[in-house]
Formats: sequence, structure tokens, C-alpha cells
Amino acid sequence: MNIFNNLGIVFALLGAVLAALMPGIASAKGVGAAGQAAAGVVTDDPAKFGKVLVLQLLPGTQGIYGLLIAFITLSQIGIMGGSATTISAVKGLLYLCSCLPMAIVGYKSALDQAKASISSIGLVAKRPDQFGKAMIFPAMVETYAILALLVSILSVGGVGNLHV
Amino acid sequence: MAIEQMKCIRLCGLKKDRKKILEWLQLRGDVEVMKPALHEDSIFKEGNPGLEGQRSTFSQNIKYAYDALKILDAETSVKKSPFSSLDGKKEATAKQYESFSAKHDRTVETAKRIKFLEDETAQANADILKIEVQLEALKPWFTLDVPLNFQGTKSTAAFIGTVPNQWTYEEVTALLAQNAPQGGPAEAEIISSSPEQTCIFVLCEKKHRAEVEKALIAGGFSRPSIHSEKPPKEQSSVLEKEISAKKDFILNKKSAICECAKFRSDLEFLADYDSMRYEKYGVITRLMQGKRTFFLFGYIPAGKAASFEQELSHKFDAAVEFDDPPKQEEPPVLLKNNNFASPMEDVLEAFSLPGVGEIDPSAIMAVFYYFLFGMMLGDAAYGIIMMAITAVLLHKHKHMAETMQRTLRMFFFCGISTTFWGFMFGSFFGDAVGVISKTFFNSNVALPPIWFEPINKPMKLLVFCFLVGLIHLFTGLGINFYQSWKAKKYKDAIYDVVFWYMLVGGLVVLLLSIKGMTGTFGISFTLPSSVGNAAGWIAAIGAVGIVLTGGRSSRNPFKRFLKGLYSLYNITGYLSDVLSYSRLLALGLATSVIASVVNKMAAMAGGKISGFIGVIVFIVIFLVGHTMNILINMLGAYVHTNRLQYVEFFGKFYSGGGEKFTPFSADCSTKYYQFKEERKL
Repeated sequence: MNIFNNLGIVFALLGAVLAALMPGIASAKGVGAAGQAAAGVVTDDPAKFGKVLVLQLLPGTQGIYGLLIAFITLSQIGIMGGSATTISAVKGLLYLCSCLPMAIVGYKSALDQAKASISSIGLVAKRPDQFGKAMIFPAMVETYAILALLVSILSVGGVGNLHV
Repeated sequence: MAIEQMKCIRLCGLKKDRKKILEWLQLRGDVEVMKPALHEDSIFKEGNPGLEGQRSTFSQNIKYAYDALKILDAETSVKKSPFSSLDGKKEATAKQYESFSAKHDRTVETAKRIKFLEDETAQANADILKIEVQLEALKPWFTLDVPLNFQGTKSTAAFIGTVPNQWTYEEVTALLAQNAPQGGPAEAEIISSSPEQTCIFVLCEKKHRAEVEKALIAGGFSRPSIHSEKPPKEQSSVLEKEISAKKDFILNKKSAICECAKFRSDLEFLADYDSMRYEKYGVITRLMQGKRTFFLFGYIPAGKAASFEQELSHKFDAAVEFDDPPKQEEPPVLLKNNNFASPMEDVLEAFSLPGVGEIDPSAIMAVFYYFLFGMMLGDAAYGIIMMAITAVLLHKHKHMAETMQRTLRMFFFCGISTTFWGFMFGSFFGDAVGVISKTFFNSNVALPPIWFEPINKPMKLLVFCFLVGLIHLFTGLGINFYQSWKAKKYKDAIYDVVFWYMLVGGLVVLLLSIKGMTGTFGISFTLPSSVGNAAGWIAAIGAVGIVLTGGRSSRNPFKRFLKGLYSLYNITGYLSDVLSYSRLLALGLATSVIASVVNKMAAMAGGKISGFIGVIVFIVIFLVGHTMNILINMLGAYVHTNRLQYVEFFGKFYSGGGEKFTPFSADCSTKYYQFKEERKL
């Protein structure tokens, strides 16, 4: 039981790391795949570079949101910046739970957003005048990453104020 | 904030003036020429046969001009500043246009000549490549002192060729001895050898020629694919001379191309001139023409009709009539806004221009657009950087293309809003002020927020975001009300807007009177329960109203009721719309938190190294990190501001579908020049 109690900080760090890891991996995949599509369009018409670049970057934001949660968690548990305080196992697990929405939703939404992005890149290749609409389709997917980000921010902040 | 009023225009002129009138129209550029809705009769015919040939000549000329310009660009490496694309079109006058016709054919010739010179150099380059291949093939034969096609002397036969793989002298003689035992004396020589092939020279008596050849072929012998009249070494120097001659030729041609650089502006003018003529001939096909007169139909912005008529009657013998567009027709849409709202025209156009009975929402959009963008980026320093860059570009490049100008102006206003929210939330490069003072000056100076720091009170900001969202959505509904009212659909205005105001507004007030709710959201006040009760009743009336009227398109009362219930279900749409504004909080936090991460990394790296180098390390990490952050978050703020406008805001009142007003104008077809006459108007 004693060992379990000491694991608080480990759980918390696990949460932070997962929040950075999973959306980061998915964003890298997504931006990579969208980049291939974008490069294909640019071979045909270099003038579309600006537009397809925007679309390529859209699935990249999940990685940033993940970083955000990881950073907030790291500074809350004192690994980054301040001095590390002892964290109870319960609190550590709470941190872990708080990070999960961002980790999981971030992962899946980045992959799916990449698919929408790739299709939108195809759209812009054929009809550059429809860029405004093409941008919205991937952005719709991102809504759910943002909602997850919000829940994670609020709960990481909330856990910090709990005394357990 | 307006959609320009359109007038139908009917112009009748003499055919001898047709060219002049069309040129004048093109330079003025404020009439959209439509295909006539009339039928041809025995007198008036549509279009002009035989124009297509002319048009294809023009487009050929345009292509020549563009090709020539491209070649000139490649040959004469003119240094262009990275911002040269912002310079916009050069100014030209109608006089220049008229006088160019004298230069026109000469310039086409110049363009063709440049293309021809370029073709010649390309051909010479290809030749050089071919010769180089030959040279490469000659290399293994350099030590041979007879030509490659040397067959032998009077009484000897020579074999010059290659055998696969590496051979030694002994192996060659062994091959001959084995396969041509009757072959008599033969002399073999290894010219060169490599692991892939060996070049050999074999000499035998002429009478044994066939036998020796057979023996050699058994060893895989083949004659070289290249021929030379001279010994290989001499031959190669001939080829080298040829190459250098070709190179001189290319240099010559290239300098000839460079000499044509002085015609660059003529070539640009040619491209524009023929683009304009191409466009003009396209318009001619849309005229109704008789023997001596022609008719032109189209649209003109109402504000320009008077000056148009005045100038026309002053210049030509022509008659013109203006009319309000007929009810069943949808005139093309031209938006007119002031500098503050005009950047929204492009955002609006990217969605769709206003359709029938819809207003131009640019001005209202502009207020929300800048406000929302600022909240999402929310850093004073980033805002100041945006403002500075856009202001400098706008100031330095006065003639830049109008859409570019509008985009920059949009980011300028977004920058103002970003700065405002940055100071409200106490973010200046994130927490840079505090970090720098702590790392380098050991003091605790920090930039205090004017309002509050979102990271400390996220709940408070979240509630504020919902409030902003509610105001945005209700504004959209308000526009819907205005549009219905203007179209005299009073019932729709009440059923579709007022009931929803009652329901959503009532529910919000009701929530504010419940203690548990205000507690959760950290709102400092709770409305008295009497207010809550009243609001509940209002919401209920709204709900009943929606159920009763939501299905009014159906006649069947049962279906009507079900449809009404279904439209009440839309309340979930409002819930998700409002929740959607939480992105303001999330993206705002993302900017400031990542900025803090950058600062912290810079401080950790730079603070550990003492002295001057530490400061430099800090500055480098700071610059790179914040540049990345500003770019990524500007992209995020831009995309999501658009989304809030397109999906949440437009969803309440706007569907678009208008056609854009595309006047017959020089500016639409030219690329390099803009005519002064047009600019003035």
C-alpha cells in the first residue's frame, strides 16, 4: 500500500505524458498525410501553396493542445518550474483522468481531421474559389478536440485546488 | 453596409462608334454586359460571326507575351524584393492604350523572336548533351592510334571492338588459338579494360579474316557503336571544339535575349492590351447588332448611372436608358462598405454573396470578427506586431491589389483587437515581462492584467465566452427578424425569431436564477426566483409557440404538430452553438500558455549561462519560439473565427446564393497595368 501511495507523482506524470504523446503522434501522422496531398497539388499549381498549407496545418493543432495540457499538468505537479511536492496517489490518478480526454479525443480527432483536410485539399485543387468552405470541413472536426481540451483544462485546474 | 442598388442599362449606339464606345466602357469598367433576353429577328442579330478567329489570335499573342516574359525573367535575373508581389499594377493612361496599337505588331514579333532564341538555345543544349555522350563513349579508345572504322591494310584485316568483362592479353590470344587454330598469325592488343568490358584490337592476315572473326564472336566480340574517321583522340578534340562552338552560340543567343529586356514593359503591355481586346471581342458577341446600330444590355450600379449618361452623350451619338431590374430577375451583387467593414466582403464571398432579400452583413460581421479573433489570439505583443507589419506594408505599397489590401487591413484590425485583449488578460509575449525581470534583473516586475488572467479563472472566462456567443447568435437572429420584416413576412419574423428569443432568452434567465447553476459557473449573483419564474413562463410561451408554428408549412394538423415538436428539438442546436464558443477560451489559453512555455524554456537555457551569452541564447529561443507561436495561433484564430461566422452566425439568418457583379472592365483582364481613368472613377 505504501508503494501505491508513493506513485501519485508517477500517475500524474503519466497523464501529462499521454496528453503530449497521443495527440502529438496523431497530429504528426495527420499533417504528414495532408502534406503529401498538398505537395501533389503544388506540383500542378505552385500558386495554391498558401491555401493548401493552411489546410495541411489544420490537423496539427491537436498536438499543440496536447502540449498545452501536458504543460499545465507539469507545472501544477511541480515537475516543471516550482519544487516538486508530494502528491497522493488519489490526486495523481485524478490528474491522469483529467488528461485522458485530451489524449484520446486528441488522437482520434487529429486522424479524422486529416482525412477531412486531405479531401478539402482535393477540393481546393479543383475549385480554388471554394477555399472558405474547404477550410470549414476540417475545422468542424476540431471542435471536439477543443471540447476535450476544455474539459482537460478545467479538470486539471480543478484537481489542483482539491485537497485529497 | 450595403448592397449597391443595380440598374438595368440599355444602350443603343452607331456601329461605327462601336469600337470607341466599347473601349470607353472597358476603361470606365462599371457595366456588366449581359446576353440579351431578346430573340433575333430579321434586322438584329446576336453577336458577330468571324470574331472567334480574332479572339484566338489574341490569346495566341497573350501566350507569346507571357512566354517571352517568363524567358526574360529566367535569363535576366532581375532582383525582386520578396514584397514585390504587393506592388500592384503599374499606372497607365488611355493615351498609352491608343498609341500602343502602333507598337503592337512589332512587340508580337519581339515576343516571337525571344521565344525563337530560347528554342535555339534549348536545341543547342540538347546537341551538347549528345556530343558529350559520344565523348564519353570515345574515352576507352584514346590509346588507339587508328580510326575506329579501320578495316586493315592491303593484306591484313583489323578487328576493333569490345568483349564483355575484363580480359588479359593472354586470354585473348588463348581465345584465338582455341577457336581459330587455322587462323594463322594474329596480333592482339588490349586498348583498355574495365570490369564491364575490354576494348581490343586484333590484326590478322586478310585470308583468315572469316575464321578469326568467328573466333572473336565466340568470345562475345562486338564492334563499337560509335564511328570516327579519325583516331579517337583526334576525334574527341574535334568534338570538344564543337561543344565550345555550341556554347559560344548559346552565349550569343542569351545575350540577344538579354538585349530584348528593354522591351519588357512593351511585352507586359502587349499581354494586357490583347487580354483587353480578347475580353472586348467577347463582349461584342453579347451585343444585338443591326446593319448600322447595335444594342447593349447589362447592369450598372445606380450611383454611377448619371455620370455615365452625361459622359456618354458628351462623347458619342448614343442613347442610353436605365431601368429598375424586373422583379423576377436577380441582379448581380456588388457590395460597398467602408474601410472598416470591407475586409469582410472577401470573407463573405468565400461563403456566398447575399441572395434575394438578404442584407449585406459585412459591417456587423466586422465587429464580431475582429472581436472574436482578438479573444482567440489574445496577446498584446502579437497584436502590436500584426499591426506594425500590416501598417508598414499598407503604407509602403499604396498600389497593391485591392483584395490584398483588404486582407492586410483585416489583420490590422484583428491586431488592434488582439492587443486590447492581450492587455485585458495581462499577456505580452505570454508572461515575458515577469520572466525577463526575474531571470535577468532579479526583480518581480510583471504586467498585471487589466481584467483577469484566464489561466487562474478559466470558469469566469468560459461564462464570458458563452455570453459573447449568445450575443452573436441573437444578433444573427435579429438580422433574420429584420430581413423577414422588410420582406413583409411579419408572421415569419415572429414565429421564427421572437419565439426563439423568448425560449432561449427565458431559459438563460431561468438558469441564472437557480443557485446550483450560478454556483457551478462561478457567477457572483443569482437572480431572485420571481424573475426566474417569470422567465420560465416566457420560455414556455416561446416553446408552445414554436410547437404550434414550427410545422406551418404542412396542412395536415397531425403532421404539423409533429413537425412543430421537431423544430422545438432545435433547442439542442442552440446548446451546441453556444458551447461552440468555448473555443474562444481554449484557443486564447493555447496562445498564452505556449508563449509561457517558450519563455520558460528560454529562461531555463539562458538563465543558467551567465552573462552576455546567456542573454543571446535567451533571445534566440525567444524569437524562434514566439515566431512559431504567433504563426500557428494566428492560423487557428483565423480558421475558427471564420467557422464561428459561417456556421453559428450565418446559420441563424444567411444562406447566400447571389451572383457577383463582374463588370466589363480593363482591371479584370489586365495583369501589369491599371488605367488611370479607371482609378479616378
